[in-house]
Amino acid sequence: MEEIRSDFPILTRTMDGGRPLVYLDNAATTQKPRQVIEAMNSYYENTNSNVHRAVHTLAGEATEGYENARTEIAAYFGAPRDHLIFTSGTTEAINLVAYGWARANLSKGDVIVTTEMEHHADIVPWQILSKERGVEIRYIPLERDTLTLDMDAFEIAVSDANLVCVVHTSNVLGVRNDIETIIQLSKSNGNGGKGAFVMIDAAQAAPHERINFLEMNCDFLALSSHKMGGPTGIGGLFVRPEIMETMDPFITGGDMIETVTLEGSTFQKGPQKFEAGTPRIAEAFGWHAAVEWLSSFDMEEVHEHISNLARETAAKMSTIPGIQIYGRHDLESCSGVVSFLHEKIHAEDLAHLLDSGGFAVRTGHHCAQPLMEALGVSSTARISFWLYNTKEEANSFVEHLTSIVERFG
Amino acid sequence: MTNWPAPLTNIINEFKECFDRMERYELLFEYADKLPHELQTENWTEQNRVKGCQSEAHVECKLDEEGGFQIHGAADANLVQGLIAILAIGVDGLPPSQVASLSPNFVDEMDVKASLTPSRANGFLNMFEMIKNTAASMSKEA
Repeated sequence: MEEIRSDFPILTRTMDGGRPLVYLDNAATTQKPRQVIEAMNSYYENTNSNVHRAVHTLAGEATEGYENARTEIAAYFGAPRDHLIFTSGTTEAINLVAYGWARANLSKGDVIVTTEMEHHADIVPWQILSKERGVEIRYIPLERDTLTLDMDAFEIAVSDANLVCVVHTSNVLGVRNDIETIIQLSKSNGNGGKGAFVMIDAAQAAPHERINFLEMNCDFLALSSHKMGGPTGIGGLFVRPEIMETMDPFITGGDMIETVTLEGSTFQKGPQKFEAGTPRIAEAFGWHAAVEWLSSFDMEEVHEHISNLARETAAKMSTIPGIQIYGRHDLESCSGVVSFLHEKIHAEDLAHLLDSGGFAVRTGHHCAQPLMEALGVSSTARISFWLYNTKEEANSFVEHLTSIVERFG
Repeated sequence: MTNWPAPLTNIINEFKECFDRMERYELLFEYADKLPHELQTENWTEQNRVKGCQSEAHVECKLDEEGGFQIHGAADANLVQGLIAILAIGVDGLPPSQVASLSPNFVDEMDVKASLTPSRANGFLNMFEMIKNTAASMSKEA
C-alpha cells in the first residue's frame, strides 16, 4: 500500500490544522499517479504539437503518441483501436450516441429503456431526443426494499425496446447492476425478438473492474479517464465499426473531414469522423499512462480491497446514532461508494465539518435527482474509496464522523 | 477597521475568540438557533430563494413599526442559517440607509469566509447584495 500511495504526490498534502488529507471523493474524480502527471508534463515539455497534419518531427511524434494511446487504451478494454472514439468524457460519449446514432436510427414510436438509477447524463439526452422525435422513454424502477433494479419490469419493458441505456455501477448506491443479464435479455428479447441496441455507462465501473467491450457484447460503452486515475477532459465511446458507419457526426469541423468544397464535404471513416477539431492530445498521453499503470494491478484484488473498505465502513457508520446508509454493501459486487445522511445534521453541514478534519467528501444530488426522489431524499453525503485508500483512513473517518455527531447532532 | 453596528461588532469579537474552525462552526450552529425572524418553510418561495447556495436558503426584508430594517429568513443547512441569523441580528432595527451602506467584509473579520466553499461564499454574497439592494430601495421610498 505504501508503494501505491507513493505514486500519488497529492496524498502527502496536509490540510487545515496540519491534518493529513483523506481523499474520499473518488467517485467524483480519482487522484492522478505520478506516472500520469509525468506523461503529460513530458508531452508538453518534449513533444507538444498538433496531430494528423504537419510533417515535422514533433507533429509525427505527437500523432504517433496520440494514436498509440488509442491502441493501448482500446486494448485495455478488450477492443481493437478502430472501436474507440475519444470524447471529453462519459457525458459527451452518451450524447454522441444520442446525437450521432439515435437521431439517425430512431424515430416516432421507437422505445428507449433506461432506469431510475441513471446519472443525469444518461437521462437528459434521451428526454431531448424524445421531445424532438417522439421516441418513448421507459424508466425501469428501483426496488425500494433491495435498492436494485426491478428486473421483472425490465423484462416486460425491453420486449419492444430499440435502445437500452443502463448504468453499470451506481454513483450513489454503489450497486453494480446485473449488466450481463441486462445485455443478454436486451439482445434476445428486445425489439420484438430482433434484439435491442445497448448502451452501458461504465464511468463508475472502470475504476473497479477490468471491462472487456467485445466480451460484454453491448453496442456502446461510455467511460471517463478521470475516474480511473487519468486526466480530466478525455473519455471514450466504444462502438463496433459496422455501427459507427450508421452514425452521423455530432460535432463537425477540422480533422474529421476528408474533403471540403463550397458545395459540400465528405468525412473521415472510423473514430476520426467523430473527433472534430484539435483533439485532447496531452490527455490521451495521460490516459494511456493511467491504463498502463492500472495494468500492473490485479483488478479483482483492487475491487475486493475497495468493496471491503466500503462494506466495513458502512457497517461501522450504521452504528452511529442518527446515521442512515443508502446502498447495498452486503453485496460482493458493491463499489467503493457509501451514501449516507444524518437525521439532524444537513448533508452539506456534514461535508463542511468533515472537511475541517481533512476528509474530502461529496454532498448533493450527485447528478441523479430521479434516484434521490426514489430514495425519498433531496441529497446525500457520499464517501467513495479507491485503491489507495487504507483501513486506517476509513477508521479515522468513522471516528471523526462519530465525534461530529456527538458534538453537533 | 470598519465601524460595524454594535450587535455585529459583538458577534465579530465572539468569532475572533474561537480557537479553530470547528469552534467557529459550533458558534455558527448556535447562531442558527437564534434566528430573530424565522421564515417558516410554507413561506419559502422561488422569489425569496437565495441563488448560489447549494443548500436551500430563503430571505425576505421587511420594516418594523418604527421603520427599522428586519431580515426574515431560514435555511435547511445550519451553517447557512447561522450566517443569515448573524446578519439578521447585526442589522435588526437599523435604518435601511445604514444597511444599504454595509460592507460584507465582516465575514472576513469573523474568519468565517475562509471556512466556506466558493459556492457558499457566493451564496452569502448574493444574499448580502440582495439585502443591501432591498434596503437601498426601502431607503429611497422612505
